[in-house]
Amino acid sequence: MNELPHLEKIFDRLKRGCHLGPDDEPEFSALSSPRFDEYAAYFAALGLTLVRHEREFFYFEPDNQEDVPITLPRIAVFSYIIIDYAANQGRPIEEFIFGQNFLITALPHFTLDRYTALLRQVDVHNVEDLRTLLNRMEQIGWVKIKGLGEDEFRFLRPFHRVFSKCLEVAQSSQAAPPDASQPAAT
Amino acid sequence: MKVNPQSFFNFCANHAALLRGMAERGGEISEAETMRLIRANPSVVEELPETAWRRLRELQILVPTEPGSELLTMAPQVSALLTYLYNEANPATPEMIRGCVLSLETTGKRLARALDEDDVQQVKLAFEDISLPLRRIHADLNETQHAILAEVARYKTERARVSVREKYQRIVHWMERYVEPMIEVVRADGQLRAAFDETERLLHRAREEALFNDHPALVRNLRFLRLVGAHALRVFTQCRKEIQPLYESLRRSSFIAEGAARALEKLQAEGLSKWGNEYLIGVAAFRFQNVPSDAAIALALRRVIEHPPEPPPVLELAAEKENPGALVRLMWLDSLPDLVREDLPVEDLMGWLVDKYPERNTSDVLAGFSGLLFHNDFQAAFADEKPHAYNTTDGEIEASPLTLISA
Repeated sequence: MNELPHLEKIFDRLKRGCHLGPDDEPEFSALSSPRFDEYAAYFAALGLTLVRHEREFFYFEPDNQEDVPITLPRIAVFSYIIIDYAANQGRPIEEFIFGQNFLITALPHFTLDRYTALLRQVDVHNVEDLRTLLNRMEQIGWVKIKGLGEDEFRFLRPFHRVFSKCLEVAQSSQAAPPDASQPAAT
Repeated sequence: MKVNPQSFFNFCANHAALLRGMAERGGEISEAETMRLIRANPSVVEELPETAWRRLRELQILVPTEPGSELLTMAPQVSALLTYLYNEANPATPEMIRGCVLSLETTGKRLARALDEDDVQQVKLAFEDISLPLRRIHADLNETQHAILAEVARYKTERARVSVREKYQRIVHWMERYVEPMIEVVRADGQLRAAFDETERLLHRAREEALFNDHPALVRNLRFLRLVGAHALRVFTQCRKEIQPLYESLRRSSFIAEGAARALEKLQAEGLSKWGNEYLIGVAAFRFQNVPSDAAIALALRRVIEHPPEPPPVLELAAEKENPGALVRLMWLDSLPDLVREDLPVEDLMGWLVDKYPERNTSDVLAGFSGLLFHNDFQAAFADEKPHAYNTTDGEIEASPLTLISA
C-alpha cells in the first residue's frame, strides 16, 4: 500500500470526534478520492470504522458509550430546537439551516419558555452557554464560527447527522406499535 | 326566471370588487356577511347597500343554497364566469374526467350501434356528441394544470407562518387527490387512452363504410382526439414534475421536524435522566486507560479548593542548649557493635553492658542487649549457668549469661 496522503492529519482530527466535510481541505479531498477504501481498511485494522455519510462527509463511528459526556445532550437539544423553530416557520428545514448565516444573539433558543426550559435541563442558561456549545460544535466540524462576522456562524454539511437522527426517530416512532406511552403525532 | 343581460353586466361592471370578494370567500354566505362585503367593496356609483343586496338576488348572482334557505351561495355560472375573467383555475377531479370518459364511451357505443344498423342520422349525431366530452376534457386538463402550477407557486412564495407539517399535508392532498389518480386515468394504458382508441377505431370505420361523408368533421375529430390524448399525459407528467420535488422536500422536512419534535417532547415529559441515548448523536472520542477522569480531576481540585486554611508549621532554627536525649541514646545504641567488637569474645554480654555503662537504665541496657543479640556481625549463645542478677540505675535484671562471638 502506498502511503496514504494526509493520513496523520486525518487521523488526528477524526480521533477527536471531528467530522470532515468540504470545508476541511486537504483532508476532505483525500478521503473523497478513490482511495477512500484504503483509508477505511487502514483504520479498520485499528478497530476504527470510518463512515462515509450519504451527504459526503466523513467521521469515525462512535462507540456506544455508557458514560455520555454532557456535551452530547446539549448539542442534541440545541439542534432539535433550531429544527423545531424552522418547522414552525414553515420553511424547508435544510434550506433554513444551510441557507443562511446565524447570529448567536438572534438565535431562537431563548425566545420561547418551552425552549428555555428544555435548555435548562442540559445546563444551558444563557447566550454565553450557547457560545460555549457552538465552540464545541465547531471543534467537531458541525458549524463554522471563525472567519465570519462577530457573533456569526453557519452550519456545515456534517450537521446532516442531526437530520439523519431525526428521520430515524420519526421512522422508529411510526414503526412502533400504538402504545399509550407513545406521544400523539403532532 | 330570465335575467336581463344588460342589467346583469351593468351591475357587474359597477361591482367588480364586490363580486371578486364574494368569489374568493366562496361557500355559503349570510345576509349579514354579504352586507359586510358590500360595505367593504362599495359600488363605483352611489348606491345604498340594501339596493346592492336586493340586486344581487334579483340578478341571481346569489341564489339560495336550497329552496327557502336564508343562506345564499354564488350561482355556479357566475363563479365560472369570474374564474374565466380573472384567469383563475379550479382543478378538475379525476371523477370529473372519468365522467367525461364515460360520456365518450357511451357515445362510442351509440356510434357503434348506428354503424351496425347503417343509421346515418345516428352516426351524424354521435359525431357531434363526440367533440363535446373531448372539449370538456381538454378544458378541464388545462384548468387543472393551471391550478396545480398556481398552487406550487403559492407554496414557494408563501410567507405566512404555516408549519412544515401543515404544508406537507396540503401538498400530499394535491398529490393524492389530483395528480396521482389523474395520471392513472390518462396514462398510456389507462381508461382515457382505451376510450380514445375505441373512438378512433369507430371514426375510421365510419369513414371506411362511407356512412359519414363530412370528411373535414371526421378529420377534425380524429385530430382533436389525438391532441387531447397526448396533451392529457403531457399535462399530468408536467404537473407531477412540478409538484414532485416540492412533495419530496416537504416530506423530508416534515419527517425531520417530527423527529425533532418527538425528541424534545420526550425530554420535556420525562426529563434528562430518562431521555436516553436514543436521541443523542454520537461523536467519536478516544478514551485513554489509566488516566484520571475529568470527574477525578474535578474532585481533587475541589478538595484543594475546599480545604480549610491553617498556618504552616514553625521550625525552631536556633541551636538547642541541651543535648537531645533521644538522639544521644540512638547514637549510643548505634556505636555499641563497634565497641563490643574490640572486646570479643564476651563471656557475659549483660554483665559487659552493666559494667561498661553503669549509668544506663534498664530500658537502655535491654535495648543495647537486643541490638547486639540480633546483629548480623555477631553470634550469641546462652551459657549453661544459673541466672545472674544485674543491677541497673533503676532496677535489677535477672538473666542467664550470654556469650557473644564474631559471626
